[in-house]
Amino acid sequence: MNILVYSFFFFSPQVYTINLESRYLLIQGVPALGVMKELIEQFALYGAIEEYHALDEYPAEQFTEVYLIKFQKLQCARVAKKKMDERSFFGSLLHVCYAPEFETVQETREKLQDRRKYIAKATNQRECFLLKKIEGPKKTVSKNSEHDCPWSTSGSCAASNWDPSCFTSSHRVSHNTGYASGNHNQSLLAFPQYDNSCAETSGYFGQNTSLTLSVHPGGHTPPTSLMQRTVLIDNGVDRFMPRTTHLQERKRKREEGNKFSLIGTSVDSTEVIIGPQLPQVPKVDMDDDSLNTSATLIRNKLKEVADSVSRTSVQKPESSSAKPLVKQRRRI
Amino acid sequence: MELGRLEYLQALVTEFQVTDSPEAKEQVLANLANFAYDPKNYEYLRQLQVLDLFLDMLAEDNETLVEFAIGGLCNLCLDKTNKDYILEANGVESIINCLSSSNEETVMSAVTTLMYLTTPQSRQQTTALPVVECMLRFSLSASRRLSNLATVFLEDYCTPLQVEEARNLSKHTAVGIPLPKD
Repeated sequence: MNILVYSFFFFSPQVYTINLESRYLLIQGVPALGVMKELIEQFALYGAIEEYHALDEYPAEQFTEVYLIKFQKLQCARVAKKKMDERSFFGSLLHVCYAPEFETVQETREKLQDRRKYIAKATNQRECFLLKKIEGPKKTVSKNSEHDCPWSTSGSCAASNWDPSCFTSSHRVSHNTGYASGNHNQSLLAFPQYDNSCAETSGYFGQNTSLTLSVHPGGHTPPTSLMQRTVLIDNGVDRFMPRTTHLQERKRKREEGNKFSLIGTSVDSTEVIIGPQLPQVPKVDMDDDSLNTSATLIRNKLKEVADSVSRTSVQKPESSSAKPLVKQRRRI
Repeated sequence: MELGRLEYLQALVTEFQVTDSPEAKEQVLANLANFAYDPKNYEYLRQLQVLDLFLDMLAEDNETLVEFAIGGLCNLCLDKTNKDYILEANGVESIINCLSSSNEETVMSAVTTLMYLTTPQSRQQTTALPVVECMLRFSLSASRRLSNLATVFLEDYCTPLQVEEARNLSKHTAVGIPLPKD
C-alpha cells in the first residue's frame, strides 16, 4: 500500500541507465545577468570542469541563458546535477540535466568502459576485459582520472572558456583560442532536443538518494584545495558579460540617457544642474518692434509646450513607480 | 538496514505481481530497474528473481514496460553472475528483438546490454549478422547518442570482416527497418 502511494508520487517514471548519464551537463534557466563566472564557480565546487560555454543557439526562456559544462569525471557531474538542479541562482531556478548528445564517440566509449570498471570493482571481479584495443588508447586517460578530479588541471579549466561569441575583449580572445582550437566546434554543431529525461530526474534522485550516494563509496568530498581552484578561476577569466546582457545594458543606458535629457529641459527650481549649460536659443532681432513682440510670443509659447510635454513624460514613470523598480531589481 | 532493503525490494516485486493497474506496474518496474543500477542490490535482485521478471517483460506489448525492463537489464548485466544468468536463460534473443523497437531509449539500452553481454562464448550470438546490420543503420542515425553507441559497437565488438559482410548485405536490401523515433 505504502509503495503504491510512494510510486504514484512520481508521475511519469524513468529508468536511469549509463546511456542517459554524461559528463556533460546542460544548465538551463541561468539569468542573463553576466553571471557566468559565478555559475561556473558554483559548479566547480563539485569537481574539475574541463570545458564550459554558453549555448547561444539553444532555445531558452526570455532573459535566461543556457550553458554547457563538461566535467572531468562523470561522478562529479552526477553530484553537481543532484546538488544544483532546481536550485535558485540569482533569483532564477536552474534546470540541470545530462547532455550525452554532446559526447564524442570516444567519450561515449570511455563512459561505458568506466561503468564496466566500476562494476568489476564493486563486485570484486577482476574480469579481464576482452577488448584489448579499448585499453590501449584509454590508458593515458584513465591514468589521469585515477585521482578523483585532479585539481592540478584546474588552471587550464579556467582558461577553457571556448565559446567564440562570448569574448568581450580582444585580450580574452587571444587568451582562449590557443587552448581551445582542438575542440572548438565539435560539439556545437547539432542541438537535438533532448528533454524527455530531464523532468523526472530530480524525482529519481529524490527517491534513490541513499543509493546514489552509496554508489561510489570512495567518494568525492569537496577537497580542501577548493579555494585554490576558485582563485585560479579568478585569475584566468575576467568578469564575463554575455552578449545579451551587454545589449540589455546598452539599452538601459540609452533609456536612462533619454530620461535625463527630458528632465534637463524641465525647469525645476530644486534641481542642481551640474556641468556646462546647453547654448541658449539665440534671440534674433527682427529689426521691427511688432515682429520682435510676435517672435517673443511664439518663442514663449513653444517653450511652454515643450515644458508641458517633458513634464508629462517625466511624471509618467513616477506615477507608475512599480515599473522602474522591477527593472532595477533585475540589475542586481 | 540491509534487511530493510531486501524487504523493500520484496514488497516492490509483490506489488508488481499483485497490481492490476498498468500505471502501477510501470512505476514499480521503473523502481526495480533503477535499483538495478546499484551493485549493492544485485544479490537481493537475484534472490527475488527480478532478472527473470525483467526478461519476461521484454515480451510485453506495453512499450513502456519493455523500456524499463531492458533498462533494468542494462543496469545489472555487467555483473558476472547476472551476465551468466542472462546468457544461460537465452536472454540475448529477446534483447536483440528490442533493437527494432520504435522507442529510442529501448534501443539504446539494448545496444549497451548487448555490448556488456559480449564474451568470447556469447560473441557469436551478440554480434550476429542481423545485429551488425542494425548497428550499421544506427551509426547513421541523426540521434548522436544512438550513432555514437552504434559506432562503439561496430568498432570495438565487431571484426572489420563482420562489418564488411553486413555492409555488403545491406547493399542488396535497401529497404531497412525504420529507425527508432526520437
